[in-house]
Amino acid sequence: MHNALRSRTWLLLWIAVATLASGLLTAAGAAASESADAPSFRRDVMPVLFRAGCNAGTCHGSARGKDGFMLSLFGYDPKGDYARIVNDIPGRRVNAAVPEQSLLLLKALGAVPHTGGKLFDKDSDLYKTLFRWIEAGAPDDAEAVPQVVGITLPKESVVFKKIGGHGVARVTAQFSDGTSRDVTSLARFFSNNPSVATIDADGKVTAVAPGDTNVFARYSRFTVGSEAIVLPPEEGFTWPNPPANNFIDTLVFDRLQQLRIIPSDLCDDETFLRRITLDLAARPPSIEEYHAFMADTKPDKRAKKIDELLAADAFADLWATIWSEHLRIIGGNYAPQATHVKAADVFQEWIRAQMRSGRPLNEFVADMVASSGSNLSNGPANLYTMMLHQVRVEPKPLAADFSQLFLGVQIQCAECHNHPFDRWTMDDYYGFVSFFTGIKRKNGIEPRERRIYFDTSVEPAKHLVDGRPMPAKVLGSVEPVGGDGDPRKALAAWLTSPNNEMFSRNLANRIWAQLLGRGVIDPVDDIRVSNPPVNAPLLDALSKRLVEVKFDLRSLVREICNSRIYQLSSRPNASNARDTRQFSHRHLERLRADTLIDSVVAVTGVPRKFEGFLTGTRAIDVYPKTSGDTAGPHYGDPFFHTFGRASRATVAAAETKLEPTLSQALHLAVGDSVRDRLTAGGVVKKLIETKSTPEDIIDELFIRTLSRRPTTEEMTGMRELVGDDVKDQAVYEDIFWSLLNSTEFLFNY
Amino acid sequence: MQASLRFLIVASTFMACVAVPSMPAAADDPKPVTFDDNVAGILKKNCLQCHGEAKQEAGLNFATYASLVKGGSGGVVVVAGRSSASRLLEVITAEDPDARMPPDNDALPADQIAMIKTWIDTGIRENSGSSVAAARTLGFKPAAATQANDGPPPVPANLPDFKPRKTHRPYPVLALAASPRAPLAAVASYEAIELMASKDKSYGAIAFPEGEPLVLKFSPSGRVLLAAGGKPVQNGAAVLFDVTTGKRLSSVGDETDAVLAADISPDERQVAIGGSGKVVKIFSTEDGKLLHTLAKHTDWITALAFSPDGKLLATGDRIGNIHLWDAKSGGIVLPLSEHKGAIRTLSWRSDSGLVVSCGEDGLIVWWDVKDGWPAISKPNAHPPSRPAGSYGKIASGVLDAAFGPKGELATCGRDGIIRLWADDGKELKKFAIADDKPVDRAAPKGVTVLPTRVAISADGSVVLAGDSAGQLHAWPTGAAAPAK
Repeated sequence: MHNALRSRTWLLLWIAVATLASGLLTAAGAAASESADAPSFRRDVMPVLFRAGCNAGTCHGSARGKDGFMLSLFGYDPKGDYARIVNDIPGRRVNAAVPEQSLLLLKALGAVPHTGGKLFDKDSDLYKTLFRWIEAGAPDDAEAVPQVVGITLPKESVVFKKIGGHGVARVTAQFSDGTSRDVTSLARFFSNNPSVATIDADGKVTAVAPGDTNVFARYSRFTVGSEAIVLPPEEGFTWPNPPANNFIDTLVFDRLQQLRIIPSDLCDDETFLRRITLDLAARPPSIEEYHAFMADTKPDKRAKKIDELLAADAFADLWATIWSEHLRIIGGNYAPQATHVKAADVFQEWIRAQMRSGRPLNEFVADMVASSGSNLSNGPANLYTMMLHQVRVEPKPLAADFSQLFLGVQIQCAECHNHPFDRWTMDDYYGFVSFFTGIKRKNGIEPRERRIYFDTSVEPAKHLVDGRPMPAKVLGSVEPVGGDGDPRKALAAWLTSPNNEMFSRNLANRIWAQLLGRGVIDPVDDIRVSNPPVNAPLLDALSKRLVEVKFDLRSLVREICNSRIYQLSSRPNASNARDTRQFSHRHLERLRADTLIDSVVAVTGVPRKFEGFLTGTRAIDVYPKTSGDTAGPHYGDPFFHTFGRASRATVAAAETKLEPTLSQALHLAVGDSVRDRLTAGGVVKKLIETKSTPEDIIDELFIRTLSRRPTTEEMTGMRELVGDDVKDQAVYEDIFWSLLNSTEFLFNY
Repeated sequence: MQASLRFLIVASTFMACVAVPSMPAAADDPKPVTFDDNVAGILKKNCLQCHGEAKQEAGLNFATYASLVKGGSGGVVVVAGRSSASRLLEVITAEDPDARMPPDNDALPADQIAMIKTWIDTGIRENSGSSVAAARTLGFKPAAATQANDGPPPVPANLPDFKPRKTHRPYPVLALAASPRAPLAAVASYEAIELMASKDKSYGAIAFPEGEPLVLKFSPSGRVLLAAGGKPVQNGAAVLFDVTTGKRLSSVGDETDAVLAADISPDERQVAIGGSGKVVKIFSTEDGKLLHTLAKHTDWITALAFSPDGKLLATGDRIGNIHLWDAKSGGIVLPLSEHKGAIRTLSWRSDSGLVVSCGEDGLIVWWDVKDGWPAISKPNAHPPSRPAGSYGKIASGVLDAAFGPKGELATCGRDGIIRLWADDGKELKKFAIADDKPVDRAAPKGVTVLPTRVAISADGSVVLAGDSAGQLHAWPTGAAAPAK
């Protein structure tokens, strides 16, 4: 009885407390009135976190956060960030009752230990924004906030006439409600080359040394750049006004003149002949070709030579191999990746046929993209077996490789966050991945065969942040392609359309880089806002021309090779010695591995056998064959490995390595590739038999190996070496050996 | 008298509109899921090629019930009642295709996976004739709660004169405790602890200059109040107060970050604390000496509690690991692994037979501490409502749990609901803080008010909850007082 009574008393007392408590505990709360101009989380607070670097990749924006606190990288997930800051641990990071005690503020001020150190002062606008937001109760945005739709800098290009000069890049952001505002104090800045021009946290650009680079501002998910040119002194600069052969020369010369860089001279005929033959036929010119070209006195002999080489099969075969590397053709034996050597053969032969027939490149690519059917009979369908050597078609890596190859764009960053230095968002990424989610392979009639098909019942990719299904959508578009069939038809149509500049610019840039040794955008497969072209009008013009010639590879190559720029000497002058990116002189480049061994074979007359191919097959027609699995790097021959031929393990352009290495030098000096061929081919023996004087023999050895006559000095030295025994085969073989081991032979210059 | 009447009306209004009836318990399925009827076929079609009579990859043979239950070279693959601890379910549900069974194949259809899961969770029956292992007795005798608590229930008297600092807005109720003997609650405020009773008898506040009290706990005698907390990344400590006088009795710990978890042993001789330092420290309350340092957790210690018999200490961390320790020696006893997110609270039933854990993964587990068995497991205990047209994960964390005197449990979660659970895990009642409209509800637009803490009054008649807007809520549980 007593207990029951007491219990009821407690109940009443406690319910009373409920009201009492609210009165007592909120007595202080009268001060907290909702202020009308409370900062918005998305519009005002997120930019502070971005500007202060809180959500950078090295700090709390890292995938696992930092010291137990995670933010989305550069703020791609404001909703999640709000929950983590405010609600994750109530009262700790944000303390709306005692705002100045919020850990978010104390950490940023450096008032408590913080790995990231002090980020701003108490009197800064950044602090005030955060403080006012917390003071207002740290509210989430109740209504939709205008989104940033773009940012701009006042000028596309700034020219500094002297070192130490400066200017300020003010950043304006445009919003979805049509308004815009200056966000310079909330943006972040960086320079692509601080040894030319720096940019500080306030957007102030300072000229450091002559050259050209780009400075960038980042705000929200946008990056925008401005070219910064620092001119060398005007004294002593006179533009030589070299003649322009075509639009390429005009555009490159415009740029060089603007930068006060004097181009090198035109190369001589010997150099031109060797260069163009190596570039278009992947071999050195023969002795007969050398003599014929040198004897020709017509002014258009270079153009004629270009036409002749373009018409030859070797040109098509070289480009078939370049595509074969990009598309990663490797033949296996009952490989689980559906990459049997029979599939590899049919794909390689299909590519070669397209190149030989001059198939427009856009049609060539479209055929592959939309292909289905047997890997053993339908060559182009092997895009979906070879590009990814995987047991199942994995849509995400396939989408990443696909865009890297056909658009030169790396979208894979956007799998986990919006691309930090480019325009690609996670929406773009997952929409693009959905083009490939339905690609499947089923068993064919025989064990090596797989049939590639698109299963339209497969769900589209899901967005990482909220799990939303993302129907197939081309990059940069808002609306999905729609339809309920195979979306790859729409993909192929969009990708290869003459209106798709991303595609034509990528192809034009790759073709240019193949011939000039460096892309207008370089690396060629990392095109992004923060890696702009070094000569934008040039790339635009090349891309436009490729479209005009209906994606005909030979037409664009012809145009490039006929330009004076292509034919410049590799010897620099005082003005252009420091330039490595504006095409003021020919780029020195070691021969590709396959071209090199084919050159050794051509010069010595002894063929090289490659595993799985008939004797006499040129290296540029060889692709790797293996006895099993095709995953991982495959070179097909140890020589290719040593000399950096693409391993076909990835789609990256950097797979082809042209850096000289010690093992290469050793291989050529003492390995079997050169040594065994010196005598075996009987080149020297035949020369001794047919030539009357040692000078003639030396002369021909030079032309055969280096496509040039020896200089007087070289001739004198060599003649001394030969001595009195003018029929001594060993001495000539020594000379032949040293020519094959010379840097000159290894390089295209 | 007038006031009492008003509160009576308020109380009955609450009872009418807030006490939402709990969901009916799922009726026992008349046809149990068994190996012979439901599972053998799935395994035969998908697994027996490698794990059958002919070939036993990893020593596993799924051809018969006996050989499946026996397991393989890596141990057992099915644990009765615990799909979460069964390797079989883990491999067929793996996200990574390389780790998933069957290899080089699409995942099993969802309905087949669900069937296997149900079969494991309902006790891996062989056929409809087999019985499941006897259900555990979770029976509870409140007798264990009684201790030598003689004398009148301790209530504050003559607290020092102390006015809490005015804060910019009501301070969130980051800690809340109900006295186990008296109608008295301690509520966290900024640099202060409010001791609450009734309108007519307000006890006032005591100072906590260390900063924010993040943990408040009464000792079983009701005489001592433990307050632990501090200022984030500045300082942390645990302080003991005399409930009657408000006097500071002792202070332990001199941490560099606020103490996130703490408890006082039932004999009032030890205090355990933990926080972002990832170790649990046990101090003597007599001389403040550090008795043990328990280093096993790999993330912040977010919850800890002594068993009411003083024998065990349960500790939990931010990645979901729970360990049981011998409270006297500091030796490790058992790991309790079931949670996949931060542990928010550990609470012991007064007979020391069960400890409850709840966490950000939305799970509540009643652990049988004899052998660390998850006797009752409530996933998605506070299911969040999903706004139309939205995708992805929605926070479903369980933020606090507290036992009442009769083995009933109160929990609160990110869904804004307070739930009452019976001692057998059945949901009894739920109360929504959004339905409770105190006089001054000062949450600005755009701010989500979360129930941060719950407590049940000593007699079990009232459930209390504090929220992130600094409001205190109370509802009658409707429980009849135990007759004596």
